[in-house]
Amino acid sequence: MIVEYESKQTPIHKLDPRAKFIWLVATIVISIIWTDPVYLLGLGLVTVIIGCIGQFPWAKMKGTFMFLLIVTVVITLIQGATYVPKVVWLANPERVAFHLIPGWIPMIGPAWPVRIGGLIYGLSMALKVFVVLITISVFGYVTSPSEVVQIIVRLPFVSYKSGFVVSAASKFVPVIQIQLATLRDAERSKGVDFDSGSFTEKVKKTSSMLVPLFANALSMADTMALAMESRAFGYSKNFTMIRPYQMRVSDRLMVIFSVGGLVASIVCLAVFKLGAL
Amino acid sequence: MIVSLKDVTFSYKGSKRQALKGVSLDVKEGECVAILGPTGAGKSTLACVINGTVPRFIEGKLTGDVVVDGQVPNQVGTAQMASRVGLVFGDPDTQLFGMTVEEDVAFGPANLGFDYEIIMQRIKRAIEDMRLQGLEQRAPHRLSGGQKQATAIAGVYAMLPKIMVLDEPTSMLDPEGKARVFSIIRDLNKSFGMTVILIEQEVDDILELADRVFVMKSGEFVLGGTPKEVFADVDELREVGIRVPGIVEFGNLIGADRTPFSVEEAVSIVKSGAFDVLSDTLASSGPNREVDASNERAQDITPIVEAVDLEFRYPMGVKALDGANLKIYPGEFVAIVGQNGAGKTTLTRHFNGLLRPSAGDVRLFGKSALNEPTWKLCSKVGYVFQNPDEQLFCDTVEEELRFGPMNTGMDKDKMEEAIRDILLDIGLDKYRQVWPRYLTKGERQRLALASVVAMEPEILIVDEPTTGLDWLESLQILDYLERLRREKGKTILIITHDMNIVSLYAKRVVVMANGRVIGEGTPREVFSQPELMEHAYLRRPQIADVSDILWGEVLLTPHEAADRLKRSSRMNREVAGK
Repeated sequence: MIVEYESKQTPIHKLDPRAKFIWLVATIVISIIWTDPVYLLGLGLVTVIIGCIGQFPWAKMKGTFMFLLIVTVVITLIQGATYVPKVVWLANPERVAFHLIPGWIPMIGPAWPVRIGGLIYGLSMALKVFVVLITISVFGYVTSPSEVVQIIVRLPFVSYKSGFVVSAASKFVPVIQIQLATLRDAERSKGVDFDSGSFTEKVKKTSSMLVPLFANALSMADTMALAMESRAFGYSKNFTMIRPYQMRVSDRLMVIFSVGGLVASIVCLAVFKLGAL
Repeated sequence: MIVSLKDVTFSYKGSKRQALKGVSLDVKEGECVAILGPTGAGKSTLACVINGTVPRFIEGKLTGDVVVDGQVPNQVGTAQMASRVGLVFGDPDTQLFGMTVEEDVAFGPANLGFDYEIIMQRIKRAIEDMRLQGLEQRAPHRLSGGQKQATAIAGVYAMLPKIMVLDEPTSMLDPEGKARVFSIIRDLNKSFGMTVILIEQEVDDILELADRVFVMKSGEFVLGGTPKEVFADVDELREVGIRVPGIVEFGNLIGADRTPFSVEEAVSIVKSGAFDVLSDTLASSGPNREVDASNERAQDITPIVEAVDLEFRYPMGVKALDGANLKIYPGEFVAIVGQNGAGKTTLTRHFNGLLRPSAGDVRLFGKSALNEPTWKLCSKVGYVFQNPDEQLFCDTVEEELRFGPMNTGMDKDKMEEAIRDILLDIGLDKYRQVWPRYLTKGERQRLALASVVAMEPEILIVDEPTTGLDWLESLQILDYLERLRREKGKTILIITHDMNIVSLYAKRVVVMANGRVIGEGTPREVFSQPELMEHAYLRRPQIADVSDILWGEVLLTPHEAADRLKRSSRMNREVAGK
């Protein structure tokens, strides 16, 4: 579950959106190039600290973390059983940790050996997913959709129309959620019991809401498009930004921290193999 | 002429029907023109022709001449026309694009590419003129209905168009929101000199506002002229389906020498004796709905629905109910009124278990219903939602009516018989196999109501049954509800902002504010309490104001008031004769 933006006055919320965006990009790039789980764990810790300063509601991510845990176990086991990379700091990555089918099972065991190197590589992959996901979540929590649009439309290769498409789409999500809740209530008011029945029956009950849901969404999108057109949307290529952002000291420090970290990690990886398996 | 339409005809793409049939209209700069008409008359299409969205954005075949501020909208393009013609729609939620009020107001000028300083000046002016100071940084979706619509108008106003076209801008607002928006429209026209074309169903408010009024039906103008000329033709207005303003109808019924357009005028006419109340008009003037204001019931009857100290807090933390108490008795027709956010919908959603209270009790037929699931309660308490499009799920009208009864396990023969009767009752018999989406809004609203009635609940709760409907469609819905009460003994609860509907149908009115019931009584009793009305931001019908000033008593309909005047005139003549 992605945690929605909340307007707060924390130091992270107050940062210039561009500084936050640079931090987001730098963290994602570093998490991609690094493969050592220890380094990735450190990177994740930095993101968690930034999230804590931004008062990120970790409890709301409980479900996501549970899902990630399952993904981590699955990825780690699959990697451990199928792939063995060279690990710089490990003497024998080929060493078998255990077998997926243990030796005490007659006839077929032991089979599918899980090797130490593969386990470490699998853990690294899972940590990458973890770091990327919490970084995006923290960014989304401390940056309003409007600021995201402002960032997008300031990019040299993006038109402001594209930015507003993103903005309009983001606004549709809560609208669709409300519509779905109302449709569900309307069905309950006509005797539909969503709590009982098999999985197939429950899917059938829910599917009857899809036609009105999409029909309403289309109708609303149509009216919104008409209203946007009526307010000169697309009149000129020179859309005027009404938020002239100015970088303050804290914003500059965040940019230096992010860009510096990114450059340092690339150099250290290329020269000293730091962060690599 | 700032707007000139000559013999304009338009058909939507793929449709043989003409939405506009040879419409001609000239509007002078600075004029305020009101356009009335039933739904489907072509009013919105006309608005879109003026700003060019028809046929450039909404495709179809347009013929005739359209010139707006010296430009031909069809050739110039909508976005280019936007700086000349501002168009405001009924639903504010579909026309707010910014994350804050300030950002939303800036959207239009920013699209036009103005400099940052100019945009900020325009934002400041629009926010001041539309009375949105202090709300600049608020998220539009967190505003009240009236504030949202004011923001939408401000967004258009900031582009400084010469013409403002408003398409039913108050149709989704509560009385307070309506008053705010009408006051803004008055300012736009009278104070800021903008040309205003106002499409409306609210006839009371346009009487004093409009310089000229046009009435549309089936794509053409059937009446047009000054308000005095148009509203003098009461019979034609009725035939088209326009609600005749109460004081105008009163003037007509008493044979006034001029048509009253305000409470003061109506009072002055009566006081100066400029009427002929003994003419025959009283007997022949349209539907004379008998107002049964009596609310007598045996004291020992058990309430069919009872809310006891009900409290409810939404997950976001908003306390919507704060100790609400209410008793509804069998066979009543109750209207729940109050401004948006007063807790009306939240309260009634507890009666069929859609919401569960955080404290208090809900009793149905004398027993607590807190542990009963909605799918069981729905065969006793039927709930009709405000928007028909959020409660129609099936492929045909007939299937829609079967949906509820099949879920509640109704006997098949009984169900088919009930559906046959209901389809005839609501006039949808010929549409049995039609996809509900193809019906008009009024028909869809009737179908949504019928789909709940088909489950044969004893209590019917109808949330805002007349929103977005014209007067005739509204009466069709309310007449059907009244028939269900009178002939089948159903208990009816409606949530409404329309005090004219309350006057005509409700036997009891429940007034809510801040999550509590703050008053109740017959419509006459409630309308006689100005403090209560003010507290709940309600406005009683104008005829009640007239009768209160003239005779110190609150009368609910023009017929009642005319009858009262007739009686007092006769008495005066008899006294004078003696």
